[in-house]
Amino acid sequence: MVERFRAFSFVDRITRLEPGRRIEGQYTVPATATRFPASLMAEAVGQLAAWAAMSHVGYAYRPVAGLAGETRYHGTIAPGQTLELEADIERCDEEAIAYGGKASIDGRCVIELNHCVGPMLPMEEFDAPDAVHADFETLRGPGAPAGRFSGVAAPVIKLIEHVGGEKLRAELHVPAEAPFFGDHFPRRPVFPGTLLMDCLSTLALQLAREAPSLQGAELAPSKFTDVKIRSFTAPGQTLELQVDLQSATAEAAQLKLAARAEGKGVATARIEIARRQ
Amino acid sequence: MQQQVISKEEIDAVFPKVAQIIADALGCDVEDVKPQVPLIEGLDAESIDFLDLVFRLERGFGVKIPRGKIIEDARGDLAEADFEQKGILTDAGLARLREVLSEVSPDRFKSPMKAADIPRLFTPETFCKTVIRAQRAAQAAA
Repeated sequence: MVERFRAFSFVDRITRLEPGRRIEGQYTVPATATRFPASLMAEAVGQLAAWAAMSHVGYAYRPVAGLAGETRYHGTIAPGQTLELEADIERCDEEAIAYGGKASIDGRCVIELNHCVGPMLPMEEFDAPDAVHADFETLRGPGAPAGRFSGVAAPVIKLIEHVGGEKLRAELHVPAEAPFFGDHFPRRPVFPGTLLMDCLSTLALQLAREAPSLQGAELAPSKFTDVKIRSFTAPGQTLELQVDLQSATAEAAQLKLAARAEGKGVATARIEIARRQ
Repeated sequence: MQQQVISKEEIDAVFPKVAQIIADALGCDVEDVKPQVPLIEGLDAESIDFLDLVFRLERGFGVKIPRGKIIEDARGDLAEADFEQKGILTDAGLARLREVLSEVSPDRFKSPMKAADIPRLFTPETFCKTVIRAQRAAQAAA
């Protein structure tokens, strides 16, 4: 498939690997990328850790998005910039990978992830193990071709309930077709959890702006905690998103995030929206 | 292998912290986390929650809880084929499970019982005992 290893792959090169312990790599956002949400920096660190996990278990299993205890944002990234990626593997077996990691630009940390866990599932459900192994060798050797990612379209979110300064509910219409489904994953298209978090953070930002203590301030997501992805979201699915403002000070707002499909929980998280430093 | 007895006092000592960790993992009120409430039927826990819970307990108590530890504790020195066959617990396996999960009401053990249904029996007290065994293992290894 033409989009495989292109449309949603955020590691260009693996520069160092201590099997089962640590991995380092790089990713350059193509200068031509139309939209690169901040949550894709977390995706890049997670994908780097996934390469460590998949190679560790002989490509028989692959991790999927599960838990992210804490993700702190310290900066942003622009097209053309390069992320230096690193991940420390706390545990890796056929059940799960547990890891932490970070990404830096020119030596400055822009995102750090702590206490992340990716449940491992049989690789055959998602991709061809031999092809994944070959991609790993490419990343370890010459590196992947540059400029593979072209950007993701802005999500289609429709507000269905708005209680000023308290709550937002909206529908997210996951596209039935998108280039990233060809890469995430080739045998089983799944809407990426990091894009779901991007949609929820967009709503959270809107609600945080209504907090009296933050009105008029320039705000940005500063921290996600307790992210939990409970089930896969398929192409074309409609999700109900809900954001609740829990508290706000002069510096930051704390909000609860949830996504459901047909009444069943798909994902939950907490987010802090803070004044931009 | 005879399971070492865990006293009520030991369970009571770790329960408040285990209950808070369960409440944090499941996003429920700590008051709802009673020692013997079934986590799946009573608190809507799913498989991802158990994974979350084990990692939170490891961090919270500074112990290691290996993969499949509860079932491994139940199996003890029984060979896998003596514990379950084709996914169904043997009589010996069921007896061992009853012994290890002594906190679980006897009427909740079905016969025949699928190995895949074992997590349906888990309660907060199950995880208290898992933590205590992990603490003992760590002390023994020190």
